[in-house]
Formats: sequence, structure tokens, C-alpha cells
Amino acid sequence: MTSPVVSFSGVSKHFVKDGASFVACENLSFDVHPGEVLAIVGETGCGKSTALSLLLGLQAPSEGTIRVLDADPFGQFDDLRGRIGIIFQNDRLLPWRTAIDNVAFGLEILRVGKQERQERARHWLERVGLGNFLNAYPHQLSGGMRQRVSIARTFAINPPLLLADEAFSALDEITATKLRADLLGLIGEEKKTTIFITHSVAEASELASRILVFGKPGRVIREIKAAEIRAAGATSDDVSREIREGLRLARQRAETLELQAG
Amino acid sequence: MIPANEAGGTGGAKMSVAGSAQVSPVTGIAHYWRKIKKQQPVLIDLVAVAALWQFSTLFFSPAIVPPLGAIGHSIWDIFSQWQNLVSLLATSIRVIVALLLSFVLGTMIGICMGSFPAVRTYARPLLHMIQGVPALSWVVFAVIWFANVEIRIAFILLIGTLPAFALYIDSAVQSVSLDLVQLGQAFRASRIQQFLKITLPAIVPEIMGAWTVNLGNGIRVAVIAELIGSTVGVGFQLLQAQAIFDMAGAVAWTLSLVAVLFVYQGIISLIEHELLKWRPKSEVA
Repeated sequence: MTSPVVSFSGVSKHFVKDGASFVACENLSFDVHPGEVLAIVGETGCGKSTALSLLLGLQAPSEGTIRVLDADPFGQFDDLRGRIGIIFQNDRLLPWRTAIDNVAFGLEILRVGKQERQERARHWLERVGLGNFLNAYPHQLSGGMRQRVSIARTFAINPPLLLADEAFSALDEITATKLRADLLGLIGEEKKTTIFITHSVAEASELASRILVFGKPGRVIREIKAAEIRAAGATSDDVSREIREGLRLARQRAETLELQAG
Repeated sequence: MIPANEAGGTGGAKMSVAGSAQVSPVTGIAHYWRKIKKQQPVLIDLVAVAALWQFSTLFFSPAIVPPLGAIGHSIWDIFSQWQNLVSLLATSIRVIVALLLSFVLGTMIGICMGSFPAVRTYARPLLHMIQGVPALSWVVFAVIWFANVEIRIAFILLIGTLPAFALYIDSAVQSVSLDLVQLGQAFRASRIQQFLKITLPAIVPEIMGAWTVNLGNGIRVAVIAELIGSTVGVGFQLLQAQAIFDMAGAVAWTLSLVAVLFVYQGIISLIEHELLKWRPKSEVA
């Protein structure tokens, strides 16, 4: 069996704010295997963003071990350069760069030569349907187009691991649905291991082969093997129902914890 | 894989895209006429001030309010006589050299302040303190501290303009969008890459703003600095004009300096236009 692309083992993260300590993640353990499309679903404040930040290596866990592509994302930060791609909730395009230069941003960080950079950026803009907008500045593009540029920027560095952090939540439903389908197509074609972080049940049920429902304080409440459910003849609605049940349990648990804390 | 005609998402193809924008042909004359029309308020202001000035010559002696003709004659003297032109050039060069030096030092200090909170904590009050000292006090200090006139003027200009640069840049670095900073981190940009590819381009609008503010400030400080000890420069010439009650000369030197300021501002506008061409029209002042 191949080693997991991402492995969280007994991970906890504690913060101290204004003298008070609070737990963002507690004893979090899960693996993501090559080619898997995992969705992490949970309500606001359930530790999704902290898990993402830990996964990216932007902070160190208080306890436990995290391995991403056989490296410690915090301790070996530079070793993972170009190996993790991320699509953010808002496109985060650099407003002073044209679409093609925005796509080339990650390649510049990787010190790819100018010509190859331009070719790869052009290729990916064409693949996301923006071949005619290479020299457009972000303010000249619609929200959907900007998010496409950001998707192209992520794929251009060809990372083995792809993260999408609420990638469609800033878009209207029609655009989001279309982009979700397109992104899923790209993930399938490029065979990327992907983690979607979302609070959208529809997004998780449509995209993921496996779903982890997070509950406060940052722990897995329920694991849903969506691919297996679908293979058994169930629909996305059945998967959605499972997710909602998981979210209900997470809410119930959070309320119990609040009551205990007084 | 995604059809281009559906790429728009929200709002569809709402844009006019650089490189493919349809610009209607404008004749050369119409283009220049539009430019002149844009300057119409400035021209009207100038004419109004000139008319008011000329009108007041009816009530005051030429020694107090000289007629426009005398001022024009003095301006001609400045631009046609080499020794006068040298004074104007000397002040112009002093201002720009000191501002460039001040900009480099101020940017370095501002970036350190914006990047390291500890530096900011101590540097900010110090810069505010320096800003609070009147230019004339710095002139007195400089006269006592430095024997060389050029060093004296450079010091006064530097101390007069550096705090504004540093504080502007500090504030600009502080306000770089956290989203963009996190973008750099997510792509694992090195500190230098983060600075060159995100921070520096992001603070260009504030840098240009600091130049615009400091240019006027620099000209004013330069004239004050030249009042003592200098034998060349607009400040010195103004002192000479005052000594012989030459009001026309004083106004002519002042106007010449304002013209220098306009030239510098024009250059800054051109640079600004080039560096900030990515901004939407509505954001451009």
C-alpha cells in the first residue's frame, strides 16, 4: 500500500489569546491517499481553517505529527515549495498583474525560466477557457473569470496535492456549480489528490470521494465514504443526507460541550 | 475543457480587456484639445490671479505690487542670464538629490518599521518628533553643526523630508492586504520573493503619494535652507531681492520655483501613470 499523501496523527492545536487558552484542534487523525478527493465539512469555527493552516505548515501543531508528501510541512517548509497548490475562497489575484502574469506567479516562485513560465501560464489559461484574456487585469474580469485564473495559477505549478479552501463560496450558485464541475473535470484529468475545505453540503457531496465532518473543537465527528455509497447505487442526495446527519451530531456535541463548560 | 464563451461566470464578458479594447480613433487635434480642456480650471485660476494682481497695481505702489510686465521682465532675466539660471538649477538639483537620498533612506526605514513591530515601536515616535521640529530650528542647528554650506542644505532637506517618506512607507507596508501576504506564504515564497513580488508592487501607490507630498515640502525646505550661508540658489536670490526691495524679482523667483515644482510633478505623474496603469480608471486620481 502506498503511503498517504497527507497524514494527521493525534494532532492538537492550542492557542492562547488574552491570557485564555482555547483548543482549535483536538486529537485530529486522518489520512489522505493518492488520487483521493477528500472534503472536510464543518460549520464556522470547527477548526477547518486551523487544519488547513497546519497542513500548509503556516503554524506548528501543539501536539501530534503531520506529514504531507513525506515531509513535515512546518519543519521542512521549503521542501514543499511547488508541491502544494491552493485555491482560496477569494481569488487573491495580484491586481497589478495581467491574467497571464498572475498564472505565472507560482512558477516565478519556483524560479522557472521566463519562456517556460509564459508557455505554461498560457496553456493553463486556455484550459480554463480564458485564452482570449491573457492580458486582462483582474479588475477587468468577472468574479467567475478571476476564480478561473486562480485555478489556472494553482494547476500551472503542477502540484501533487491540491487544496481548495471554500473555493466557490464567494460566487453565485450558477457560477459556483459550473466551476465545481469544471474543477472536478480538471482534477480527474490531472489525477490530483485534492482536499476541499467547505461548509457547503452540496459541494462536498458533489465533489468528494470521502468526506470528513468536523465538529468543535477541530475533530472528526463522522467519516462518510461517498464513493462507496455512490457505488452502491445511492445518489448525491443520499450523501448529502449523511453529511447533514454528521453536521447535526457535530452541533449536538458542541452544545453539550458548551453546557459542560457552563 | 471549459468553453471560452462560458468563461465569464458572473457578469459574463463584462469587460473591455487590455490589448483587445476597441478604442475609437481620435484625431490629433481633438486629442490635444481635450488635454487643454482638462487643464481649463488651472488656466482660469492663473488668469484670475493675474487679473487681480494687475488690478491691485492701481492701488499700490510698484515697489509693493509690481505690474505683471515688471514681473515678466524679471522672469526673463532669470531664464536668460546664466548666473540666475544656475541659482534655479542649483535649487532644483539640491531638491531632487536630497529627495532621492531621503526616499532611499526613508523607504528602508519605512520597510523595517512595517516589517518589524519592534523597530516601528521606537522609530515612529522619533520620526513624529523630528517632524514636529520647525524647519527654521534645523537651519540653526545645521549652521552650528556643519561648516560646509552644501552639507548644511542637504542635512536640512533630508531631515525635513525623510520622516514623511518613512511614515508613508511604514503605513503602506502595514496595509498590504493580508490575503496577498498569505498568497505568498501559501506558494512558499522566500522573504525576498515575498518583498519583491508582493510588498513592493503593493506599496507603489503610496510611494508615489509620498513623492507628491514631499516634493512641495522639499522645495519649501530648500528655500529656507538656502537663506543662510548660501551664495547660490533661489533662497539666496530671494534674500537678495528682499535686501534691495525688489518685489518683482522676489515674485519672479518664486514663480520660477513653482514652475520647477510643476515640472517635477509632471515627471512624477508620468512615472505614476506608467507604474499604476493596472489600476481601474475610477481609482486613478
